Amino acid sequence: MTATISTGYAAGIDVAATVARCREQLPGPADLILAFVGGKHDPEAALAALRASFGDIPLAGGSAAGAIAGGGTGVGTGGFGYSGLEIGIIAFSGPDVTPKILTNRDLLESEEAAGQALGRAVRAQAAPGSAVLILFDSVAASAPLRLHPASRIMAGFHAALDGLPLHVIGGGLLTDINLSDGWMFDGHAIAKHAMTALVFPPGLHAATAILHGCRPVSSFFEITRVEGAEVLELDGQPALTVIERTLGLELGTTSGQQLSLVATLGQKQGDPFAPFDENNYVNRLILQADPARGSITLFEPDFTIGTRVQIMSRDNALMLESVTQGIADLEAGLHGACAFGLYIDCAGRASVMTGAETEEADLVLRTLKPGFPFIGFYSGVEIAPFAGDYSRPLDWTGVLTVFQRTA
Amino acid sequence: MTDGPNPSFEQLERELQYYRREYNEIGARLLRAQEEQSRVAREARRSRTVARLVREAYQIIDQDIPAETIGPLMLATIADTAVCDCAALLLVDPAAPERFLVQHAFGTTTPTLLTLPDPPDHLYTAGRTPPVAAAAPMIDLLGVPFILWAYDPATGRALLLGNRTESNIHRAFEAGDRELVDVSLAVYNDLLVRKRAEIALREAKQAAEDANAVRARFLATLSHEFRSPLEAVIGFSELLLQTGRQTPGPEQKDEFARQILDSGHRLLALVKDILDFSRFNNTVPYLRRDWLSLGVLLRNAVRSFAAEAASREIRIDVAVPEPPIEVSIDYERFRQILANLIGNALKFTPAGGVITVGGIASAGDGASITVSDTGIGIAPQDLPRTLEPFVQVYDPAGPRVSGAGLGLPIAKQLVEAHNATLAIRSAPGAGTSVIITLPASDVRCGGRQSEPARG
Repeated sequence: MTATISTGYAAGIDVAATVARCREQLPGPADLILAFVGGKHDPEAALAALRASFGDIPLAGGSAAGAIAGGGTGVGTGGFGYSGLEIGIIAFSGPDVTPKILTNRDLLESEEAAGQALGRAVRAQAAPGSAVLILFDSVAASAPLRLHPASRIMAGFHAALDGLPLHVIGGGLLTDINLSDGWMFDGHAIAKHAMTALVFPPGLHAATAILHGCRPVSSFFEITRVEGAEVLELDGQPALTVIERTLGLELGTTSGQQLSLVATLGQKQGDPFAPFDENNYVNRLILQADPARGSITLFEPDFTIGTRVQIMSRDNALMLESVTQGIADLEAGLHGACAFGLYIDCAGRASVMTGAETEEADLVLRTLKPGFPFIGFYSGVEIAPFAGDYSRPLDWTGVLTVFQRTA
Repeated sequence: MTDGPNPSFEQLERELQYYRREYNEIGARLLRAQEEQSRVAREARRSRTVARLVREAYQIIDQDIPAETIGPLMLATIADTAVCDCAALLLVDPAAPERFLVQHAFGTTTPTLLTLPDPPDHLYTAGRTPPVAAAAPMIDLLGVPFILWAYDPATGRALLLGNRTESNIHRAFEAGDRELVDVSLAVYNDLLVRKRAEIALREAKQAAEDANAVRARFLATLSHEFRSPLEAVIGFSELLLQTGRQTPGPEQKDEFARQILDSGHRLLALVKDILDFSRFNNTVPYLRRDWLSLGVLLRNAVRSFAAEAASREIRIDVAVPEPPIEVSIDYERFRQILANLIGNALKFTPAGGVITVGGIASAGDGASITVSDTGIGIAPQDLPRTLEPFVQVYDPAGPRVSGAGLGLPIAKQLVEAHNATLAIRSAPGAGTSVIITLPASDVRCGGRQSEPARG
């Protein structure tokens, strides 16, 4: 059986028509599709449209704040957008390229336990070195906003792997950049508080570049009080006060004081006094600022007492430089043709948010010039192999992975 | 590091504090500079957004679509360019100026009505601005707290955008957004005007082409229909005026005078038909309705054709409804309708044929009147043309039938003036039936079948 991978991309209010336009770009039947559906589309209507176009085949993916697709002869229509009306689809046909879908729907009970369960399932299915794509519903609750922390998911997942080496990438699914909601395709149906792992066949191997864009703008502070993801004190003082005093501006200037992308907290890995290298930083976005408690709540609860952090500023120029440099480094390590590419792009990198003159996703497409099927989505959290170690959740990054046939 | 002897720990500590302070200060300035650059870029982006919206919206005009579909397409363009959660296009209710009707909506399925006694031209809500009373119904309409509103009193149209939050991808709405929403609404209004003008122009062009075709048919048909009786009038008048040996005798004079009179009547009928058609084409005919027995109407209509039918050896049957029914009609106009239909049937029915004029109460409590003949019938492709003015559908192999081709068009105009319908069923060689269907409101039981109601 011939193995084929193809992509489709379209945007429009009518979900059935938009899916149909995607379908028209695909050359033939598929064994599995991975679909990223803009969050303004109704999930049930999207599922019905996908079933109508593709039949009853395994279905992964879910909501996305936006979608990205490469284009060109024989590889579908290219484009990107984050209006919430985009749909991006990648279709796999043939056992050599089609991943297995493993699902867990217990995120609400315990992210770590769910991660463990999924990790055990993956361990039973995956060959050493396999590429695994993890997708999960990012939003646990919307009022008040609470996310499913990827760090806990990954802690459980890695514990269950028991040392099995895998190339794990992933992303959190959102309906929009406001973190309003999220939903998943769990293989066959729509699911909330769920996660899937797509385990790719051993004949495909992956290479990943993490594209950054933040630089430190402060000296080190030590976290001296923290409750989960809520950082209450830095250097023994209210964290919010320290950050606002250092920066000379207020973080919580928007209504609801949610999701300030003005600054992030970064943890530098390795020698803290080594020269700046963006690849050494794990960034955490600030989800909320609470003036009453003098605290900030991070996207992830993986910073603990004693963690030394720096206040980080997003840097549009650095973000774009990171795209060109990251792609150049990635391409330098490739040998032979790519089977397909996947881009998991933090929604906060969209220029509507950053104010960057250039759309970062557009620069990725123009720099990479994928002559192979290429699909991406705007995500909440990104997961990627970090600093040669196991995969970690990252914020405000672009995770670019290309898959090649194993020689 | 300072020059001189080894610095003390205190000096090193002080120096470290200095660098840390300066580093933090420079870092903070860098961050603020980045924010300022982003703010400026977002402003530029807003201008580009407006430009893009205008550019993309005007592409809609090139699409061959009805005016009603512009609204949804415009909303899709706005959603894509302005990146909002929901939006609605509204129009002032002509019956209640304080109410707006939602014409098109995106991202919301909430109410379709907005009550706004004193609608502002522009309005927005933001977390950092005091609440505005007029915004409350708009917030209720979209079900989101942050709205951006534009209203054009001249057209009565309004555009309402909404966001669930004002952080992250959505900036807080602000005064500078007026351009975006005003331009969007203006472009929508312009597109509607243009599309409607385009459609009106197309319809006017079609009407002009139709009128040209009618005029051409008018000239072609009437040149013949007028010429024949006029030639008869002139010819027989010249014969009457001959003198000497050519002087006509008394019997000839009588015959010539009858021919002139007959031709005059034909010309008069023709002129009357043309005037009727022209008048009914421009204004709905005034009807003097009375409740009349349908049986009496049919009998009276047939009676006036009895002599002509007998002379042409054609039988006319009348089938009156049983039990009797009355219809609310203008008697004279309906006589005209039936005269045209029976006259047509006579023209196209050969000797030995039968014409049936009947009335029946129909299933929906209305009534139908049918004039059927056993004439030559009409080919399917010619059926639509039979109701066009100045068109004579006839068998090219058969004898030519005179007439202006106005009988059926006038009958249709008068039938429709009665809120009734006229349909034709026919097939070549199988005769023709013209069916008039009267609405139930104009039909009732009762009435006498034998005595004429009027005229």
